[in-house]
Amino acid sequence: MDQKTIISTENLVKTYKDNGMEAKAVRGISLEITSGEFTAVVGPSGSGKTTFLNLISGLDTPTKGTVMINNKLISEMKGKELSDFRRDNIGFVFQSYNLIPVLTVEENIEYIMLLQNVPKSERHERVIKILEEVGLSGLETRRPTQLSGGQQQRVAIARAMVSNPTLILADEPTANLDSEMGSELLKMMKVLNETTGMTFLFSTHDEMIMDRARRLITLKDGLVKTDEIR
Amino acid sequence: MIILKIAFRNIFRQKRRSILTALSMFGGFFLSAFFIGFSDGSYNTIISMFTSNNLGHIQIHENTYLDKPSLYKTINNYEEVLQKLAEIKGVKSYSPRIFSAGIVSVGDKSSGARIFGVDQSKEIKTTNFDKKIIKGKVFSGEEAYEVIIGEGLSKILKAEIGEELVVISQGADGSIANDAYKITGISKSGNEIEDRVTMYLPLKVAQELLVLEGRVHEIAITVGNLNSVNKINELVSKKINSEEIEAVPWQVFAKSFYDAMQADVAGMWVMLVIIMFVVAIGVLNTVLMSVLERRREYGLLKAMGTKPKDIIKLILTEINILAFICIILGSVAGFGINLLLSKHGIAMPEPITYGGMKFQYMTSEVNLRSFLIPAVIVFVSATIVGFFPALKAAKTDPAKAMRTH
Repeated sequence: MDQKTIISTENLVKTYKDNGMEAKAVRGISLEITSGEFTAVVGPSGSGKTTFLNLISGLDTPTKGTVMINNKLISEMKGKELSDFRRDNIGFVFQSYNLIPVLTVEENIEYIMLLQNVPKSERHERVIKILEEVGLSGLETRRPTQLSGGQQQRVAIARAMVSNPTLILADEPTANLDSEMGSELLKMMKVLNETTGMTFLFSTHDEMIMDRARRLITLKDGLVKTDEIR
Repeated sequence: MIILKIAFRNIFRQKRRSILTALSMFGGFFLSAFFIGFSDGSYNTIISMFTSNNLGHIQIHENTYLDKPSLYKTINNYEEVLQKLAEIKGVKSYSPRIFSAGIVSVGDKSSGARIFGVDQSKEIKTTNFDKKIIKGKVFSGEEAYEVIIGEGLSKILKAEIGEELVVISQGADGSIANDAYKITGISKSGNEIEDRVTMYLPLKVAQELLVLEGRVHEIAITVGNLNSVNKINELVSKKINSEEIEAVPWQVFAKSFYDAMQADVAGMWVMLVIIMFVVAIGVLNTVLMSVLERRREYGLLKAMGTKPKDIIKLILTEINILAFICIILGSVAGFGINLLLSKHGIAMPEPITYGGMKFQYMTSEVNLRSFLIPAVIVFVSATIVGFFPALKAAKTDPAKAMRTH
């Protein structure tokens, strides 16, 4: 794995057992993603996109194979080590925004920094800065229910990025948004990718994301069908 | 801090559910506080009737008297003992007594009777002797040849105030003891069985009748605080420092009564366990539902790096904040009801008979333990039952939870 490689998977396999039946969601994926990439993982439903992202993030453990992020073998990590690694290195953006409903915009964004024991003044400074970057200045005290779907997803992106993780994993981030909002959001993420150099990895069905991605990995039946760099 | 913030706000998120959980905790606390206060109040009323109004809290006898009472087992230096008792802090009052049995008659009616020789002035201070006189009056003097008889005995003898009552008994010297006394009062102790056989004579008169000059069978002592009985009993034992006489607390000389009270107290604990169970079921039901509904949120928290122990802490904090609020509100309500019932009591539809004594009113009591025990019950039961849903939440698989819609 060279200096620029952020993610490296080796013969990644994930098998689920359901009522005694085995289902292979990922059948052996080996690939590398380098720093600053804006990559989309596409494929039909059941192709293994979400499972692949979960394996990369350490939310799920592989049945076989390895995952390395930043030269760390996370497929072998467990418990506190894994949870601390995830907190410090991976930012998540989910399809359904997944903000904590009882916290304000500012509190949602600073949550991970609180877990990292970042001092209060620095937390506030970083929240203000990131809100400006995602175009939500002035909405710090709002609750998620007081925001539109697009605004909520921007808060989720701000939360994912505010602690400067190595990697942003976004699972269908535009699926719940209309095309105009989705397009705006995508544009914003692209800008953030270019300005911060953070690595973005999407799983998506969205044509817009596919069009704008610098690299397009197509999965089919748990295997890489095509891997196209534009 | 963020855990506390989320926990606090979560309480107000599902108001109806929080109110339901709070109601079961509040109800449990209030019932327990009321139950303990009322039980303590009732027990103390009964103990007070048994001790302050009759037996005293501590008694001094000749060493073997309690096991086998006898006319001859006396305290021979009782005046000296009384002087020592006067020096002990915490001793409220004391009264020397003589007991014997005899046959009494008024006109052509006669009956068996228990003779009490009492020092009237001391007995009034110790057992409110004068309050027991329902007809007539107390003795006109400490050496008056007068007798006060129980209400039941007066009915048996068809005796009236002013009539003459003849007593036949046995003197301590082996002689036949007999004399006649003017009935000056009729008493009612609250114990119907005793009132059918009781007659009181002034102590000196009784000593003369039974040839027990300078001697008594018992010294009854009352103390200021019922809870200090055992401590004061030790002080009394030390002070009298005798191998011939002993001081014993009411739990010893009224053992069967004490055992019956202890059995009732055990019943109270059973009731508290039932209340704890009801609180636990109420809390478990609502917390479990809440945890299942928020599974996705716990998955998110874990995905972001929150540790399982912090998720357990979050859920337990939520429950404990609610329990704390309920304990405060329950304390106010419990204090109110116990204070009200300590002043006015509850009238029983039918008088309760306990150890031969009738109780028409039961009163409550305001004390610290009637708040502390329910607080512990609510806190502990809520925390224990909350722990299992919390553990379930802490074990949430983020990958699975995030797929939940």
